[in-house]
Order: sequence, then structure tokens, then C-alpha cells
Amino acid sequence: MKKMQPNPLLYVDNFSFGYENSEKLILNELHFSLRVHETTLLIGASGSGKSSLALCLNGLYPDTVEGISSGDIFYRGKNIQDFQKGELNQKIGIVFQEPESQFCMITVEDELAFTLENRKVAPSEMPERISEVLSAVGMNDCQNRKIYELSGGQKQKIALAAVLLLEPELLILDEPTANLDPVSRIEFIQLIKQIQEKQKLAVFIIEHQIEDWLDITDRILVLGKQGTIIADGNAASIFVDYYFLLKKEGIFLPKQFSNTVDSYPIPVKSPPPVKRDALITIEKMSFHHKKQPILQEINLKIHRGEFVAIVGENGAGKSTLLQLMTGLLTPQKGTINFYDKPVEKWDEKELRKRMGYVFQNPEHQFITDTVYDELTFGMKLNGWSTAELNTAATTLLKQFHLEKNKYSNPFSLSGGEKRRLSVATMLDETPDILFFDEPTFGQDAETTRELMCMIDSLRQNGTAIVFVTHDMDIVDTVDRAIVLYQQHIHYNGEPESLWKQADLLEKARLRPPYRIQVLHKEGESLDLVH
Amino acid sequence: MISSINPTIKAFAILIPGILLSFTFDVFTPLVYFLFILIVTFTMSDIPFIKWLKIFSPFLLVALSFAWMTILYTNQTFSYGEVLFTLFGIEITRGSMITGISLALRSLCFVCLSILFALTTNSTKFMLSLMQQCKVSPKITYGILAGYRFLPMFRDELQILRQAHRIRGFGRTKGIKGKWQQFRRYSIPLLANGIRKAERVAIAMESKGFTGDTDRTYYHEMNVSPKDWIFFFLIVGAFFIILAFSYYLGYLNIFGKQF
Amino acid sequence: MTKHWKLKEIVLMSILGVVFGIIYLAFFLVGQGIRNVLAPFGLAPFGYEIIFGIWFIVSIVAAYIIRKPGVAFTAELIAGVTEVLLGTAAGPGLIIAAAIQGLGAEFAFAITKWKDYRLRILILSGVFAAVFSFTWNLFSSGNIALAPALLIAMLAVRIISGALLAGVLGKWLSDKLAKTGVLRGYALGKEIQKKREKDAA
Repeated sequence: MKKMQPNPLLYVDNFSFGYENSEKLILNELHFSLRVHETTLLIGASGSGKSSLALCLNGLYPDTVEGISSGDIFYRGKNIQDFQKGELNQKIGIVFQEPESQFCMITVEDELAFTLENRKVAPSEMPERISEVLSAVGMNDCQNRKIYELSGGQKQKIALAAVLLLEPELLILDEPTANLDPVSRIEFIQLIKQIQEKQKLAVFIIEHQIEDWLDITDRILVLGKQGTIIADGNAASIFVDYYFLLKKEGIFLPKQFSNTVDSYPIPVKSPPPVKRDALITIEKMSFHHKKQPILQEINLKIHRGEFVAIVGENGAGKSTLLQLMTGLLTPQKGTINFYDKPVEKWDEKELRKRMGYVFQNPEHQFITDTVYDELTFGMKLNGWSTAELNTAATTLLKQFHLEKNKYSNPFSLSGGEKRRLSVATMLDETPDILFFDEPTFGQDAETTRELMCMIDSLRQNGTAIVFVTHDMDIVDTVDRAIVLYQQHIHYNGEPESLWKQADLLEKARLRPPYRIQVLHKEGESLDLVH
Repeated sequence: MISSINPTIKAFAILIPGILLSFTFDVFTPLVYFLFILIVTFTMSDIPFIKWLKIFSPFLLVALSFAWMTILYTNQTFSYGEVLFTLFGIEITRGSMITGISLALRSLCFVCLSILFALTTNSTKFMLSLMQQCKVSPKITYGILAGYRFLPMFRDELQILRQAHRIRGFGRTKGIKGKWQQFRRYSIPLLANGIRKAERVAIAMESKGFTGDTDRTYYHEMNVSPKDWIFFFLIVGAFFIILAFSYYLGYLNIFGKQF
Repeated sequence: MTKHWKLKEIVLMSILGVVFGIIYLAFFLVGQGIRNVLAPFGLAPFGYEIIFGIWFIVSIVAAYIIRKPGVAFTAELIAGVTEVLLGTAAGPGLIIAAAIQGLGAEFAFAITKWKDYRLRILILSGVFAAVFSFTWNLFSSGNIALAPALLIAMLAVRIISGALLAGVLGKWLSDKLAKTGVLRGYALGKEIQKKREKDAA
């Protein structure tokens, strides 16, 4: 067994955990410790119970969320069962994944005060502590803002601030950047780094996308699919020694440690020959919402079989542009043609057959009770016969690996399954063009890879694909990238030349793909040598 | 200014006349009180008239339709006095006319008081005041606030659902059947998401050391000052003064009994 | 009593208040349509009577999902407070109305000592909520001045609305929700899970 530090901060001894009514253990005889001032990264495939572990460490299981556990967890040598309710929670702070659902108050100030009130801090001390912590997370002027109006990145900083007010000894981060755009993500990680240096906290990070965390990580734990710890050590040893084991477990290796080919989700293939006839033609189009201009003077063409990515910071109007192209919104000025006819003149039914739209949250598109009904819904609307329905549905079920879920409720599927189903429902008839609104947002590596494979086969059938995305590694593989910035198109061309425009990238809060970052780093070190 | 009045005191100041008003069935009492609340609304708060009118006007229609029903179908106790005219074979008496108008005015009083409360009260402060003045448990107080916080998110979500369902080929359907279908399609995703959010936010709150314990400090100390009581006695007192006038002038009618 | 409740259950009740507040607005338009047809005959308020049951659905959904004594009452009360916070023209008076409806809804479950959550009890709960709220409206809206025949008709409509829109619809919605798997942490979800295991065995 591993050698134990004399006084670990947290010591997990033979701990197992499972949900009530479920035979499978989510966590299976875990045995590890977390040390003072140490930064530990926990990785594992989706569904391996990482988030449950975070809640167990915090003593929130089995009280708040029912479950059955065995074994013990000790905090500074004291069994966590022996702590008063709420006592342990103040020593261990958690920042959760979803920015939307970790607050209970309307304004930033009140939310931060809520934490202080829980700790029974005297009201007279509160204003000072609140402004201190806000400046620590770089959100000085946000005291009176409504949390709802903040961006995802800002919300996570507030969540962090609230947790720091606990003055915890251990900070648990449960995929805190999964729902953030890349630049906000980096900012958040930098912030953690600063705070860790200043306050000497122990940090326990649960993550899917780990490469950006590696330089602050002392140690990595790998949780396997069976709920056991299958590897424990520093980054180099884990990713080199356990390379094949990790791949087998379906864990996304950081790009530093994997060869280029499998870090790119798309198998490199020559794109299908592009016929240059335009599917969508946008001319001098402007759109505003409640007097607020959102898009201005947009001119854009999308051709048959093309793969196009629309990028830009949050609020740049990317989703609005998709909604306009699909006729969900109508522009106040200019025209949008699909083939030769304005989108709004199309028969709604015909239009929906020819263009598909995959929403960011797959659940929003579900309207029936079973996967099968979901797949056949559009076909029924179009008057297919039962036999035709069956054949088509069976093919789709097979193609998207959903056979065993045929009669499951769409909402009860896993994240990846939901994503696959949401795409499958758009394919009852092969559409000419498919729009995706941030389909990889908050998804794990495996789901992303699957999605990119699906897209590849769609393209081979000649379907044009339009992506709104923050993931520049995906943008790196498309035919054409379009950058929206301050209501206008600022770039429209091959991604390769986009990466050379450093000014624009910075302005539009874009982060070049990993491939380019590496090139730059190498360039920098070359500069140093000279 | 009414927005600075302690929310709990304000709520009671509005509740009490509202309940007492339910005893009166004459025109004079609710009419004068209605005018009084209007004066209070536009002199003691900074509610813009247009905004107020936008909220108020639909209720005018509701009140009118209610009055109309009451006028047509008053029972014997309330249809006193001479017959004024006949409609659909129903005799409309002076009494039923008075009762109908009285009930309409009463409901307008309720609406007016409610708007006054809604537009001058900060939701968070109202809950905090209920916790501090009425001893509502912190668990309930913060639980309610946590749920209420999701309102704008649900509104946005509803918008997205509408679009997503259109993409699936569900156009806008009209009429009762369409509404029913909409209800079926929107309620499940909204609720499913709501339940998940409830669970997550509860975990997040408890992870920040919230136990529901009543022993906690208050960042916003909600106090009751003399000013609050002055407001209370103004709103409630005015009602009794009007009641007294009504009695003195011989208008007062309580449950059909003339005083 | 509330001490034994979990925070997530209280947040759930509040969220039900928010969601059904939004849903009620959609129903409101239906009510208005009916109202306009009935208006010339002085029967306009029936438009609202027909959809009245939606007010009670929170009680029934919450009680059916959480299954603890006091849930039906508290859920309605909390939903009422949430409705006031939403800041439409619902004033503090709505809280009283909600408490009274909630008492009615709770009454049905109390009769069965909070052990029976079959459809018939849920319908009964909707009916009691309708009767309680109707009684309150006799006083608060001055309905007592109306002709007895009309009152009986109104009560009948409200009871039917309570039975269907709150009782039947409440169960239907909750069962559908349970199928989505989000209720795993609540009594209803657990019961369904147990049933499934039994069937499998």
C-alpha cells in the first residue's frame, strides 16, 4: 500500500458508496488520502462517480442525497460522521459544474452574505469581507449586480468567492469550467492558481479536460469504471505508465501526452468535393431585439456540402444568426434565401425537412416519451407507413447505438445518449443542411468524439454542416470559419489564416487551437535561445 | 416612501383592510377607500402611472364582468329595492345593482392594494422580513428564494422550447386543443429541469454550511420603526374612518344588512 | 414539522410554484376565451372557474411526489408566497387563499393518514381544495350575494376542475416526470424503482 503522510488532511479508508435501490456500487472500496497544500486532480470516464465522491468527501451523502455507504472518511484524523451538521461543509468548499444552479440569492452581495451568515459572522464585518473576496476573484464592481445577468465565467467566479468566504482548508472543484468558453476557462484556472499560491489551500479538482490544469497539479488520481482507484501518481507517470489503461477506460488524454492523431476528434479525411452552389445566401441583413442591435449588415453564403464554424464571444449573436438562417427569427432588414427563395416564404413543413437544427441542450428537442417515438415523430408527421417507420427507426437506432434504449424515456438517457438521439431525430430525411448550436458544450471527450464521427459520415452524404462553437480544435478542422464581433462579421475564410490574426483572436476572445499554441510555445522558446 | 416600509408590516397593512372590506356590500365604502388607495399610490410611491395602468386595466375588465354577473344573478337577500329594468326575463333591482357595483369596487380595491405592494416591495427583503419578523424558518425562507431565483431561467427556457419544437415540426396551434398540446409538451421539460435544479441548488446551499438553523446572523437587519407603524395605522385607520362615515351617512351595508 | 423536510423538497415546492405560475398564465388565455363567449349572459367568471383547478395542482403534485404529512398544505402555501414574489397583481391576499386551498388538499390525505396516494385520493384532494377555496370566495369575493342556483353551478364547475385539472392531471404529470428519472431522490421515484425491481424479479 501507499505510504501515508503522517497527518493527511483527508483520509479515505475502504470507502464504498451506492445509491439506494441500485446494486452497482458507484465508489468501490476507495483508499487514498489528500494532503495539506497539495493539488490533486481526479480523472475518470463519465459516469464513474466522480461527482458523488466530491459530495461524499463533504459529508453531504448520505444525508442530503440518499445513498448507502460503508467504510470511513477522516478529516484531520476525525471521522466525518462525528462532525456537527454544517461544520465540515465550512472546512471543505465546493464549486460545482453548473453556473446556474449554485446560488440562492438574487444579487452578488446577498449571495456572498448568505455564506457569511451561515458562519454567523457579525454583520458589521460583512461589507469588508465581501469587498475583499470580490477583489480576490477580480470582480470588484459586481457587488450590486444580479447574478442572473452575469456571464457563465463571472458566475463561476462568484461561486468561488462564496466558497472562499468559508475560509476552507480544502477546495473541491467539480468540473467548474465544463460549461465555460475557452477564454473564461483559462481565466478561471489562472484565478485558482493565484488563490492557491496565496492561501495555501489543498485543492481537489475533478475534470474532463485536464491539459490546462496540469501545471498546477501535484498528483493525479484515476477513478475507473468499476468505481475503484486504478492509478495514483504524478502526471508524467500516470500518462506514460498507464497510457493503455487510461485509453481503455475511455479517458481523454491531455494533448501533451497523446499523439496528434487521436486528440483530433475527426479522422483526417479529405473533405467531399464542394459544389459551389449556395444553399443559403444572406444579403445586407440586420437584426435587432428591443432596440438593441444584435447583427448588422451581414453578408454570407453557405454552400452545399460545406463545413462552416461560426465563432465569437458570448453575446456576439452566433445563436441569433442560426435562428435567422433557420427561419425561427425574421430579420428586420435584408434578405436570407434558402436556395432561391426567402426562408420565410418556404412552407414550414418542407423547410423543416430540408434543414435540421440541433440545440445546445438536447432535452429541449424531446417531445415524446420513448426513444422510438422520438425517432419516428417526424416521419409520422410526414405520413410514412408503419413499415417504413420501423425500418428507418431500426437503422437509426443501430447507427446511433441506441438499440438498448429503444423504449427508454429520452430524459433518462446519459448525456452522450441524449446528444446522439437529438442528432438522430434530425435525420429522418437526409437534410441539405444541419445547424448545431454548441453541441459539444459541457460534453465529455467521448461524446465529442462520437459527435464528430457522426458529422463526418453526414458530410459524406453531402449535408452541409454549420457549427456554433467555442472549441477551436474543432474549428481547426472546418472548411471555413466565420468570426462575429460587435454585430459584424470580422472574418470569413479558412481557419488556417485566422490563427495568424492575433489581434482579432484576442478581441473576439478566441483561443487558438492546441496545435497552434504548441507552435507558439516552441517559437517562444526558440526566441529565448537566440 | 412606501418602498422603505417594512415588508411584513406593509403586507399586514394591506391584508387587514382587504379582509374587512369583504364584509361590506354598499357602494360608498369601497368607492371611497378605492379613491384613498389611489391617492396613496400616486402620492407616497414613485410608481409611474403608465406602468400602473398597464397592470391595472385588465383587471378592470375582470371586475366589470364580475359585476355584471352579480347584477344578473343576485340572491334574495341582496336584490332589495325597486325593479330598475328586466333583461333575459331577469328583474334587475336597485339592490342587485348596488351589490354588483360594490363587489366590483371591492375587487378593484384588492387589485390596487396588491399592485401597491408588488411594485414597492423587494422580493428578497420581503422574505428576509418574514424570517426575521414572523419567525418563518430559514430553511423555508431560503428554499423559497432559491426557487424564485429560477424564474428568468424558466422564461428563457420556455422561449427555447418553443423554437426547438418548431424545428421538430410542431407549428403554433391555436385554440384550446393547441393550448392543451402546448401544456403537455412544455410542462415536462420545464418541470424535469426544475426538479434537477432544485436538487443541485439545495446541495450547493448545504455545501456552504447552510443547515436551516435559526441561529444565524443577518446581513440585512429588517427592523420595524415608528414610520412603519404610522403607515400601518394610516392604511388601516383610513378604512375605519371611511367605515364610520359610511355608517354616519347611512350607506353602510354588511352582508346585506343595512345599518 | 418542517424540520424533518429536506431543503431540496422545499426548493422543489418553490420551483413548482414558479413553473405552474408560468403555466397558469397560458391557461389564463384559455379562460379568457371562454369568458368572452359567456360574458353577455353575465356568466363571464365561469371562464376562470373552469381553469381554477390549476391552482391546486401544486399541492397534489408535491404530495404525490414527496409523500409526507403537511406537504400538500405547505406546497400550496409556498407556491402562494412564490406567486406573490413573482410580483404580478397577486398581493398578500393570495397567501391566505393559498393556505386555505392547501388545507383543503391536505384534508384528503389526512383522512387516509397520509398512506394512500392512489388516483381516487388525489382526486378527492382536488375536490376538497375546490370546496375549501369556494367557501373562502363566498366571503372574500362576495359570492354569497349570488343566487343559490348559480352558486351550485359554480361549485360544481370548480369541483370538476379541481378533480380533473388538479387530481387527474397532477397524477398524470407526476407519473410522466417519474419516467424521466429525475424523481429518483423522492418517494414517488423510489416507489417506481421498487416496482420495477419487483417486476424484474
